[in-house]
Amino acid sequence: MIENRPWLTGFSHLILVLGVLVVALPVWVAIVASTHPANAFGVGHIPMWFGDQAFANWHQMLIGKEGQASHMLRMTLNSLIMALGITFGKIAISLLSAYAIVFFRFPFRGLAFWVIFFTLMLPVEVRIVPTYEVIANLNLLNSYTGLTLPLIASATATFLFRQCFMSIPGELVEAARIDGAGPIRFFFDILLPMSRTNIAALFVILFIYGWNQYLWPLIVTTDDAYYTLVMSVKRMLSVPDGDIEWNKVMVSTLLAMIPPVLVVIGMQKLFVKGLVDAEK
Amino acid sequence: MSVYFPQKFLPYLLLLPQLAVTAIFFLWPAGQAVEQAFYQEDAFGLSRDFVGLDNFTELFTSPEYFASLKTTMVFSFSVAFLGLAVALWLAVMADRVIRGAMVYQTLLIWPYAVAPALAGVLWWILFDPSMGPVALLLESIGIDWNHFINGDQAMILVVISATWKQISYNFLFFLAGLQAIPRSLIEAAAIDGAGPTKRFWDIVFPLLSPTTFFLLVVNLVYAFFETFGVIDATTQGGPGQSTTTMVYKVFNDGFVGLDLGSSAAQSVVLMVIVGLMTVVQFRYIERKVQY
Amino acid sequence: MSDLVLRNIGKTYANGYQAIPSIDLTIEEGEFIVLVGPSGCGKSTLLRMVAGLESISQGDLLIKGIQVNNKEPAERDIAMVFQNYALYPHMSVYDNMAYGLKNRGEPKSEIETKVNAVAQMLGLEELLTRKPRQLSGGQRQRVAMGRAMVRDPKVFLFDEPLSNLDAKLRVQMRVEIRELQRKLGTTTLYVTHDQVEAMTLADRLVVLNKGHAEQVGTPMALYDRPASTFVAQFIGSPSMNLIPCTVEDGVLQLGADCQLASPQFSTDKIMWGIRPEHVDIVPLQDADLNLQVKAVEALGAETLIHGSVKADRDKQYPFVVRLSGNHAPDIGQLIGLKVPQHAWHVFDAETTKRIEAL
Repeated sequence: MIENRPWLTGFSHLILVLGVLVVALPVWVAIVASTHPANAFGVGHIPMWFGDQAFANWHQMLIGKEGQASHMLRMTLNSLIMALGITFGKIAISLLSAYAIVFFRFPFRGLAFWVIFFTLMLPVEVRIVPTYEVIANLNLLNSYTGLTLPLIASATATFLFRQCFMSIPGELVEAARIDGAGPIRFFFDILLPMSRTNIAALFVILFIYGWNQYLWPLIVTTDDAYYTLVMSVKRMLSVPDGDIEWNKVMVSTLLAMIPPVLVVIGMQKLFVKGLVDAEK
Repeated sequence: MSVYFPQKFLPYLLLLPQLAVTAIFFLWPAGQAVEQAFYQEDAFGLSRDFVGLDNFTELFTSPEYFASLKTTMVFSFSVAFLGLAVALWLAVMADRVIRGAMVYQTLLIWPYAVAPALAGVLWWILFDPSMGPVALLLESIGIDWNHFINGDQAMILVVISATWKQISYNFLFFLAGLQAIPRSLIEAAAIDGAGPTKRFWDIVFPLLSPTTFFLLVVNLVYAFFETFGVIDATTQGGPGQSTTTMVYKVFNDGFVGLDLGSSAAQSVVLMVIVGLMTVVQFRYIERKVQY
Repeated sequence: MSDLVLRNIGKTYANGYQAIPSIDLTIEEGEFIVLVGPSGCGKSTLLRMVAGLESISQGDLLIKGIQVNNKEPAERDIAMVFQNYALYPHMSVYDNMAYGLKNRGEPKSEIETKVNAVAQMLGLEELLTRKPRQLSGGQRQRVAMGRAMVRDPKVFLFDEPLSNLDAKLRVQMRVEIRELQRKLGTTTLYVTHDQVEAMTLADRLVVLNKGHAEQVGTPMALYDRPASTFVAQFIGSPSMNLIPCTVEDGVLQLGADCQLASPQFSTDKIMWGIRPEHVDIVPLQDADLNLQVKAVEALGAETLIHGSVKADRDKQYPFVVRLSGNHAPDIGQLIGLKVPQHAWHVFDAETTKRIEAL
């Protein structure tokens, strides 16, 4: 603080608190809505304070009514498999390709770099129809492979690891060579342990990316055994206008956002590092 | 780095997984899209005819396509501008308070983790014409809110939902940028007699300009491609075409309208646009990273 | 038997740049050889070629009589200490030292004995469980040396190992390295750009200039009889005063106003040199040269006087005098210098090589 102006500090806090409240408002409404019976939502009325159906709603959504098991746990599992599959897949293949690009010199190295770079230019949304056809041709619709594999090529992760590897002093590689470590040993003994924080930071970002996939699972799954949480919300909304069961929609919405939000808040330091490193 | 392992074969093996995935799921579909763009397929996929550039000429003479281009521009720049302005304001405030900046950070960054589609749903319920608290509030001051029939209001809703999610990201970068400005510069300006507002516009804002420019690019890319879920979950491009962005149109024409030729042609146009954007972005990056 | 032989060794990069045309060097067992030269002279490249980190374009490299040109660094039985130490940041001191032995597949107990022995020799016992970032610069330096020593190699290679330390620590480590090397008796190749370090450490010095070995010899030989103006200026601090002049009929002519009696040389265009510490101050009337004082650096034990010698109406040469004790001439004052003939160094002005009186 340059000048001591208490009112200015007070004003800053006021704005920030307002900002926090506005940002949190929709989630507040969602939490409240998830505690009411379906008939609490009508014309001109939405509850703004907690109701008494929280347990009933959550129980019904997670466990199911009598005689009708819930898909929520299955979908949670699917979301988790997809998110982790994408995360580990991206990290693994990016580590390998960045290692090749930084620590080796070989013909067509530039070409390989540009091919990987090209994937940056093609978000799945842009080429959605032909990608769908490829997956269909490969018989990968309604499968975990179809959900994850097409999304694991990652220019961003490759660039991040490339940056990280390039900052490793060349002398360290030389020391390892003198110590008798070949490329494989160097990768596992030196490079991986040294990149731990970067891998962890990227893990946080990629987990969120994977968990939040929406369009892709929406089109490659038609069998509800492979539905994920995020896309299921959309399916619950695709009913005639008045029939939306808002209490259940909100339970699903909250359930779908809790894991990634917890990851961001719980691993805030890594998350911030991941974002800043992956900026490029 | 000037030190390399001498192995000749190993690097290809290391690159293989990445290149294979890229080839099968990126290059092949991209090629398919380019090929498809020159054919007209009937709705059942039974036959197709080579039609040359017809799909493109049709596209560029179609008022709907230009409407979606305009929608994309309005949407993207609104999201970018609103997101940057709000986030910068909050970041400046957070930078000003000595205690609690990190607490505010924690309380503001979590929307990043919410999927775009869910962000759309959360704001939908707030703005629901029949029961949403914000819609009711607006009604009480004489604004008749119904985003299901009013195209401008639908646009406002998707802009707000998309911005809400992005504020956290912008806030983080602005706060980091502000904290990286040397204290002594601000102090020097204060000694030169500049008050807080003048200091912000004369010193802080110009020094932040690299961050601002970077965020502008990121936000535009975000609004272009990553907001599909927001639109699909709330307005589905409507009412009419009022929230149909170019990316949404590719999906809609391809999967709903089953006009594969036109959808493919649109994919090709988008790829060219993304290519140009990436080159711009890379030019900017290049100054920091050298290859 | 000679330990390390470089026979007609050369390095040409893929782009055609010839970093080292050809170098011949034979190093005896236990010798401490220092490669010294300005940056870009090829000294580090040469060291890295010996280490196997840089390929050898021509010639033979022999360690204990065996040609090792194409062997991997780990197979050459050498150890290297790097400028930035290159310690593995995620490994403890112990693991840093043990890594090479582990990779060689030595049994655990043996590794432990060796590491502990070296740690004791270097005073590192207390630090074995620490990570490199928890160590001071001097301690890191020691660990880097320890890592080299546990391997018990045939040759030690040092690449400017002291340049990241502060001045005081540098002197201390210099002494320590010399002592350790004597004790272990391991052949050593040491690269530095610091001539003081080079002079104090070396059994023999190799002065490199643009990839050529300008001169090889003991520190004193290089100091007393530098083979070229390059060596003359590089060895000794402050460096030797050098003035271009002509010799005709027994007269050394610096300029119209400045002449000295001189023996004859094989050529008449020469570079005439004398070290700052070999000049005496005398009353002006007895002087060989007159020095106009420009700056005085009093260091306590000695005094450096910087000035210029006026050779002609419009020709002046910078000149430095080094005197023991404390002197305080005024700035601008003229003082008389005596330059005894036995302290002269004379070089051919064209080839820059040393020449002797006929």
